[in-house]
Amino acid sequence: MKYPDQFNQEISKNKAVHIYFAQAIPLITYIDESCLYLKEKKCRICEGVCKNQAIDLNQTAEKVEVNVGAIILSPGLEPFDPKVRDEYRYGKFENVVTSMDYERLMCATGPYEGEILRASDKRHPHKIAWIQCVGSRQVIPGGNSYCSSVCCTYTQKQVILTKEHDAEAECTIFHNDIRSYGKDFERFFQRTERLPGIRFIRSYTSIVKEDPKSKNVTIRYSIPEDGVKEEEFDMVVLSVGLNPPADVKDLAKRFGIELNHHDYCKVNPVNPMETTRPGIFVSGAFQGPTDIPESVFTASGAGSQCAQLLDYRRGKLAKERIYPPERDVSEEEPRIGVFVCHCGANIGRVVNVPDTVEYCKTLPNVVYAQEQLFSCATNCAKEITDMTKEKGLNRVIVAACSPRTLEPLFRDTVREAGLNQYYYDMANIREQCSWVHSKEKEEATGKAKDIIRMSVARACLLEPLQEINLPVNKAALVVGGGIAGMTCALSIASQGHEVYLVEKEKNLGGTARRIHTTLEGLDVQAYLSDLVRKVNQNPSIHVYTDATITGAAGYVGNFVTTVKSDRGVTEIRHGAAVIAVGADVYKPAEYLYGEDDRVMTHLELEEQINKGDEKVVHAESLVMIQCVGCRNEDRNYCSRICCYESIKNALKLKEINPKMDIYILFRDMRTYGFSEDYYRKAADKEVKFIRYEPQDKPEVKVGESDDGRPVLKVTATDYILGNRLEIDADIICLAAAVIPSAGSKEVSQLFKVTLGPDGFFQEAHVKLRPVEFGADGVYLCGTAHYPKLISEAIEQAYGAAGRVLTLLSHDTVIASGSVCEVDEKKCMGCGQCVAVCTYSAIEFRETKQGKKAVVIPVLCKGDGLCNSKCPTGAIRLKHFTDEELLAQIDAAAEDE
Amino acid sequence: MCSGRVDLEFVLRAFSNGMDGLLIGGCRLNECNYITHGNYHALTMVLLCRKIMEHIGLNPERLRIEFMSSAEGNRFAEVMGEFGNEVKELGPLGKGKGEGIDQNELKSKLAEITKLVPYIKLVKNEKLASRLKNPEEYDKLFTKDEIDKLFSEVISYYIDPEKCQACMTCAKRCPAEAIISAKNQIHVIDQEKCIKCGTCFEVCPPKFRAVTKISGEPVPPPIPEEKRTIVRKGKEK
Amino acid sequence: MEKELEKIEDQIRKSLADSIRKSFTDSHFGDVMVVGGGVSGVQASLDLATAGFKVYLVDKAPAIGGHMAQLDKTFPTNDCSI
Repeated sequence: MKYPDQFNQEISKNKAVHIYFAQAIPLITYIDESCLYLKEKKCRICEGVCKNQAIDLNQTAEKVEVNVGAIILSPGLEPFDPKVRDEYRYGKFENVVTSMDYERLMCATGPYEGEILRASDKRHPHKIAWIQCVGSRQVIPGGNSYCSSVCCTYTQKQVILTKEHDAEAECTIFHNDIRSYGKDFERFFQRTERLPGIRFIRSYTSIVKEDPKSKNVTIRYSIPEDGVKEEEFDMVVLSVGLNPPADVKDLAKRFGIELNHHDYCKVNPVNPMETTRPGIFVSGAFQGPTDIPESVFTASGAGSQCAQLLDYRRGKLAKERIYPPERDVSEEEPRIGVFVCHCGANIGRVVNVPDTVEYCKTLPNVVYAQEQLFSCATNCAKEITDMTKEKGLNRVIVAACSPRTLEPLFRDTVREAGLNQYYYDMANIREQCSWVHSKEKEEATGKAKDIIRMSVARACLLEPLQEINLPVNKAALVVGGGIAGMTCALSIASQGHEVYLVEKEKNLGGTARRIHTTLEGLDVQAYLSDLVRKVNQNPSIHVYTDATITGAAGYVGNFVTTVKSDRGVTEIRHGAAVIAVGADVYKPAEYLYGEDDRVMTHLELEEQINKGDEKVVHAESLVMIQCVGCRNEDRNYCSRICCYESIKNALKLKEINPKMDIYILFRDMRTYGFSEDYYRKAADKEVKFIRYEPQDKPEVKVGESDDGRPVLKVTATDYILGNRLEIDADIICLAAAVIPSAGSKEVSQLFKVTLGPDGFFQEAHVKLRPVEFGADGVYLCGTAHYPKLISEAIEQAYGAAGRVLTLLSHDTVIASGSVCEVDEKKCMGCGQCVAVCTYSAIEFRETKQGKKAVVIPVLCKGDGLCNSKCPTGAIRLKHFTDEELLAQIDAAAEDE
Repeated sequence: MCSGRVDLEFVLRAFSNGMDGLLIGGCRLNECNYITHGNYHALTMVLLCRKIMEHIGLNPERLRIEFMSSAEGNRFAEVMGEFGNEVKELGPLGKGKGEGIDQNELKSKLAEITKLVPYIKLVKNEKLASRLKNPEEYDKLFTKDEIDKLFSEVISYYIDPEKCQACMTCAKRCPAEAIISAKNQIHVIDQEKCIKCGTCFEVCPPKFRAVTKISGEPVPPPIPEEKRTIVRKGKEK
Repeated sequence: MEKELEKIEDQIRKSLADSIRKSFTDSHFGDVMVVGGGVSGVQASLDLATAGFKVYLVDKAPAIGGHMAQLDKTFPTNDCSI
């Protein structure tokens, strides 16, 4: 009996007893509600066949009561269900799928093992259409008024992947705006757009009919050139938006928190991780439609705020591991134990494990071998420890999966047995064997033996290595005293750490000093002065203004930074550094900016509005031009905040002077998330939105209106009406790009971190390590990373603080023992190693015998590039030495 | 460990062990797991090695590099299957189409080249560190002529017994401990151990200039041990 | 006047916080519960555990990972989601 598999969006079927998905954690089978016994008290076959008697069908839900001091709500999101709206024909037309269905179709672990197939005939669709904003940006029953923020870009991803599946595929995307507002999104969009056979069509659509025979789906849309058209597609993907979690009302009631009018969590605008109830925090998509990086750093932010609340309990609940003393085995002959893992059926179904175990026993120096069902399971890991002790093993090999995930666990297991953890080796017989040769069982068994034999050869040569315990200086340095830097500094200081806050200007505050309100109505100046006051009053925060950093040395846990400021030259010792240097505003060279004082940037306009400048607030007509200085060849990115800023200023002006004619000339309105509501509000208030194309930019000239008023004449093409427009403007506001801060390059060089192609700081991983750098101990937040709104900068600042605190909460950090070392005698001082080490972990030292390379172990990341560059073999990567690897290569050639 | 850690010597050793094909997997270009972009170095090493294989009469298709992310299990399986079939088609090492080299001859050729690995690393240093932008550049990085020349004009170093003053400088600095030396004994380079790095050439005091660079010619035989003692004229007087 | 009021308010807040804190210390509060085991919940749990707190991570599904685990790849790098 098989039932629809929920993980695969119910496209394929699975048994009632199954593993949720191949890489599930925990990787154990479970029984879902489709079980015959649970439904009808029948069957019970599984109970009988389970040798370990692990199945208990009488298990019932248990109520467990736990006392906690804080709660983080991260219930995530629910994809919009298009079934609630008939017109999408989802569930009626077989070849209409949601984008979530499509993710599973594309995935190798999906319903058709990575083949994109139509439900109707199991054939590959060739002509595919995506419909954007399904359930988003709609003020109709069943729809969401907000923009879901992620669909434009995930659709582009799906298009790129579709073309990778089938280079000939024709993909059409029906959209309202392309909202590529995130870091690297603009380039991603261009990459998609340039693929052959891709059309982006700006049009509303309706799904008209399904061909009764072919089951193809017809879409009706309209384009300015041809008017209304109908076109047939093999498959239609609905780019569904994000909804709050399904049971959100119940969740809110249960936890006693309030929701906003979109049914997402109601948060504090200046601390978006705070719910309405103290002690309960929120992270991820429950705050509002968010992408993965935001979900990750709000998690760190929420975590650190819990820690702040419960600081007095820290470390009292987690037990420190104590390992037995390490046995010195350097004088012993290698005594190797091999544990061969079935990985459930992952390995065992293909590789003959018992046979492999027998083979292992014949290998030189192998004194023990056994099989295990899941080596990573707690009982099996304990078995490894026990057998290591019992059999006096001094080398342990687990033949299982990739070392990437489980090596740390097994090293730990080996340590538990009193062995140095570097006496452990992993033979990968899953990813590199059973998963590759799933159909050639015999050969796969042979290959598994080869892999283990190679591992045994290497294991004989392994050396015990010591990891380096680096002391951690508990202080942090924050570079940049804007909102992000100050928020981060306060959060770190609140947990008892000294913070050195370095600001290049005379005053704290950064760009926010020029911002008066947010679109949501926050009084930014009041908030800012409160923040500055808190920073100045905090005895743990040491502020350096008018400061420049002249030198930065050291490494994670132990940095020494030299700061020249109004306090003179100071040498600061700190364990972590946060880069929050902010960003600058582009100074336009176009549209008469700088020549005519009626042309200003959006920041300048905001200042004038706030001052109540007559010329501005009583203007008859005001034109805003979007995308000035970005989304072009020089700056190939979107500044993210300008659409929001322009709407904010437009609404403010309309409030002061409702009669004012306001025009916004835009390319795509990118009011993502909840700010979409304000876009709609602006349109309701008759702010006129006119789209322009980059190759046909608006023109601005000094002129006179018909009634003789001196004006600026703005001409642009109206793509909807198809004619040339001429607008008389009293004021022109340019949405000037946000550009990287002038000092970015120097800061990046000082702290050995990288800048991305647009000049903003480059995080370690876009999705999963959004506030960290490749260099350990250095973190990132605010607009130094990419343009962002105040609330987003605050989130990221808390996130960075959270990551800093996980580092600073430890007395030591551990650096790997697998680092390089130099045999000075063999070094000829050619400098090849120094040149390739971008970590600057190798230096020259003058000796009597000339220049010699020296490795600074704490900076070495163990990539070993220097090892293969060294002509004389003077530099060696420990744990991956030439001898060890050559022994492996030689063993590969020995036949069974 | 990075794919850039894969040494030219490892590849040669595998073929010398009789492996019929060799595949190196690295991270996708520009998606370095470290910040060193070592996969570009692995690529240039492979390109060089393929030319060397051609030079000694092996089919370069036996060596391949593929870039993939650790998440692309499917692609890995696909590539392995594909490469496996290709290698099967190529036949056993040295006996494939257009190969025809005797096993022993192949072994000795590979051994010879393995000895030259340090030298190759030194003289091709710059090219080996280049970051190629597109696959069209791959084949052009190293040319056939260049490789032929690399092996026909191998440099050797020789200490002129007439000039050597047995000052020990070169011996102390030699990274390979290839200089047979003692006080008042004319130094001799052990050509078997020498890795041709040129350190001795550079450090020999200018007033002696005893080390010479020889290219494409055989090295003169070392002077017999009994004749190595230096008789210092000045001291005699 | 205003300043004094602020001061008093601050003091009240402080003593309140102290008493709450004390009541926490006396009982066994101090652990953290994370509701939802998607990418955000997992990150929060990891951070807290690393910082020395005991964490209860609860999820309705049989495995953690949330919706992200269902995605094939992630933009804009097209890295695998798992």
